[in-house]
Amino acid sequence: MSAPSLVTPAPAVEAIPAPPSVIDRLIAVVGERNVIRDRDDLRTYECDALTSFRAAPSVVVLPASTEEVAAAVRIAVEAGMPVVPRGAGTGLSGGALPVPGCMLLGLSRMKRILEVDLDDGWIRVQPGVINLDVSKEISPAGYYYAPDPSSQSVCTIGGNVAENSGGAHCLKYGFTVNHVRGVRMVTSTGEVVDLGGPVLDPPGYDLLGVVVGSEGTLGIVTEVVLRILRKPEATRTFFATFPSTDEAGLCVSEIIGNGIVPAAIEMMDRLAIQAAVAATGVDWPDVGAALLMDVDGCTAEAEHTSEVAVGIARRTGALEVRVPKNEDERMLMWKGRKSAFAAMGRLSPNYIVQDGVIPRKDIARVLSEIARLSQEQGLRVANVFHAGDGNLHPLVLYDARVPGQEKAAEELAGEILRICIRFGGSITGEHGVGADKAPYMGEMFSDADLDTMAKVRCAFDPATTFNPSKVFPTPRLCGDRPGPYHPHATEVAGLADRG
Amino acid sequence: MTATAGGLEALAAARQERPSTLAEATEALQRADRDRERILFLGGGTELTLGAPPDGVEVLLSTERLERIVEYAPLDQIVAVEAGVRLASLQDVLARSGQMLALDSPWAGRATLGGLVATNAFGPRRTRYGSIRDLIIGISMVRADGTEARAGGKVVKNVAGFDLPKLMVGSLGTLGFIATVTFRLHPRPETERTVLFPDLDADAVRQVVLALRQAQLEPGAVAALVHEGGDDLGVRFDGRFELGVRFEGFEAGVRQQAMKLLDLATGQRWRAESIGAETARAFWARHDDARESSAGFRAKLAAQPMDLERVANAAIGSLFAALEVPRCVCYPTLGLAFVAGEVRIAGQVAAAVSAAREAVPEGSVVIHAAPPEVRAAVDVWGPPPAALPLMRAVKQRLDPARRLAPGRFVGGL
Repeated sequence: MSAPSLVTPAPAVEAIPAPPSVIDRLIAVVGERNVIRDRDDLRTYECDALTSFRAAPSVVVLPASTEEVAAAVRIAVEAGMPVVPRGAGTGLSGGALPVPGCMLLGLSRMKRILEVDLDDGWIRVQPGVINLDVSKEISPAGYYYAPDPSSQSVCTIGGNVAENSGGAHCLKYGFTVNHVRGVRMVTSTGEVVDLGGPVLDPPGYDLLGVVVGSEGTLGIVTEVVLRILRKPEATRTFFATFPSTDEAGLCVSEIIGNGIVPAAIEMMDRLAIQAAVAATGVDWPDVGAALLMDVDGCTAEAEHTSEVAVGIARRTGALEVRVPKNEDERMLMWKGRKSAFAAMGRLSPNYIVQDGVIPRKDIARVLSEIARLSQEQGLRVANVFHAGDGNLHPLVLYDARVPGQEKAAEELAGEILRICIRFGGSITGEHGVGADKAPYMGEMFSDADLDTMAKVRCAFDPATTFNPSKVFPTPRLCGDRPGPYHPHATEVAGLADRG
Repeated sequence: MTATAGGLEALAAARQERPSTLAEATEALQRADRDRERILFLGGGTELTLGAPPDGVEVLLSTERLERIVEYAPLDQIVAVEAGVRLASLQDVLARSGQMLALDSPWAGRATLGGLVATNAFGPRRTRYGSIRDLIIGISMVRADGTEARAGGKVVKNVAGFDLPKLMVGSLGTLGFIATVTFRLHPRPETERTVLFPDLDADAVRQVVLALRQAQLEPGAVAALVHEGGDDLGVRFDGRFELGVRFEGFEAGVRQQAMKLLDLATGQRWRAESIGAETARAFWARHDDARESSAGFRAKLAAQPMDLERVANAAIGSLFAALEVPRCVCYPTLGLAFVAGEVRIAGQVAAAVSAAREAVPEGSVVIHAAPPEVRAAVDVWGPPPAALPLMRAVKQRLDPARRLAPGRFVGGL
């Protein structure tokens, strides 16, 4: 989800045109209309949903098959061009941000569902399939695909695999990585390899576990085998309001302390509630905090846990507890929550969506630190978060027309990440590192940690062809021997402009 | 340490290191790096025979003194442990706070968390909670060059950097020394109840698995034991299983689900009973006993769950015919099984392994224990995976001098 661009977007780094021989070879593989090189057309691809970073690719290729992806990668490798993969472009960390001179591989045409095996519990899809379309495909049979990022109606499975996307329901059901059984991948040499598959525990290293969440730096995924689940028998939802996030946080801790694993438990603070009301018309009061919780399972279990949780909410200071009377009411509650990011546009001309994680028990302390920063900077911060797993989404509101405010907002958003690190958490719970957070990696990890990850990167992609300048704070070449860091060519050349 | 089968006798001559801190472990690895010594990491020793015997090991690095719980945060439901902590002793500590690590692999009293991660161990709870890769959230490791490195963290949700904890799962000590591991935890179920199907054939087991899912039941553990037919002279595989389905959680849900499954069974004319605590314990004890076999031959089979009948008849059947006192545990919801037994004629067992591999070409048969004669005749890992070149590249980057259990892993890595 992007900040509304009421201000003129920063000019992108001008495209370096791809050599004509490369264009000719690409046209021979995917056809004229699937090779985009017109300057204006390339604009569409100069950023993902993190619009403050922009750079035009040299060429955009839209392949339709694994073979076409492999051929395009081989052409890029021979021409010495970096390759940046892109799904639907909904990423919030600049993972699909082009690098100067790159071939951008848009995988949106690869949107076929290839094979469904309900009995063995999996589905094989191409990477351009929309997340929600997987569940739609198998819903009539009573199955679904669990990971549900807020952007699930537009984001693609390939992008989910790259970012290891989460969603509200990953507290109980896990993230993308827990639901990917296998991938077919084009390697940095343009070869096709299968990692994992429908059968569990294939002998060998769990390369699949590293590829998921590697943000397009290890290979180009062209097919994905996803684990699918039978829908739970019952889901019980409630919405509870509290005087402040303190009581709401205590309620979350007590629920989990009582042995309940909610399917989802989401917290919103006053600003976030106001935004959701303004955007979706949900009938929520003006209160300090609200929780939206799902429990699921067999009917008796869902009823029992929901009863216990409602009791806890009342005991921990809930002002009001609402239980939806029907599925429509329930969907409206979730719509209010899921539109919270976009709804910020109602409260502020611009905003930054932050994504950080803290240990759950520290929620109250971290929120008060964020409130302090917000006061110091004179900028409002709305908080929407997956409270069950401590995944915060602070939204820093600002007005780019006011000189200095954008910079102050960026600094504030960065300080929030430092708080997460200080409390032993993470700089990203689900949006990925991408280009946006690469500079913070060195604050969360030591040089040795990053060097170890870089070694794995080098094993897959020694020439750093795939998505260079993402994830790692200091790109470097893969030497055969351990040694000092070498600045990567893209680092020397300078990366994308920051708007 | 008992290095029995598979050429592990050579380990007796290796120098032993028993670091008691991460710093000492790092020093030991640095020493070995300097002296170019080859190292085998040793946990509880329950899976020492897994993989090919490593080449010329000079140092045995034991985790037995790395047995501290580094951090336990019940409110955050996470625990960080040193590699040498035993599974059972960890569970005891967690139980005091009403929590558990959702890992019920065999030999819990001996097996260490570091070793369990390195071998990707699992038990019947995997059907609900997933495997170690679904539970591990952070790791600190020492590389072959003596560099300490961390990945992941101590929060459950975290996508910063590569997921190296998952890479280490099942890597069998060939990529680095696992020093500490951080796991996510789950609440201990309030109660449990097992529904037992005493006598089903493979097709009926498959149908029960489908029926469970169709009825939206969510068992916490499912295991099928091969029916112990036959006579004193030996167990013949008669294609029949004893199936246990355990429901765990809050009393209301457990009761409802057990009743629902019994109703289903009645409708399908499957003999089933909701068994009391005592009988349930006996069933799961038989399960544990079969998993904790010290037999000379042990193998793990993997296939699609719906192929159980083919796996049973071709793979399990042929192994049963070749082994003495064979035993088998199946996890029918997962498509995984373990077969164990004594080797009478090595050639027959090797042929049975080959036959089993042919029967499940899309799956795998990995030998966990076997005498040298069987190992000489068939590769313990089976045919090399398609991604072997990438695996070799990862090994090359992390252990360029091939000093960590060289030759033990898939494809001679």
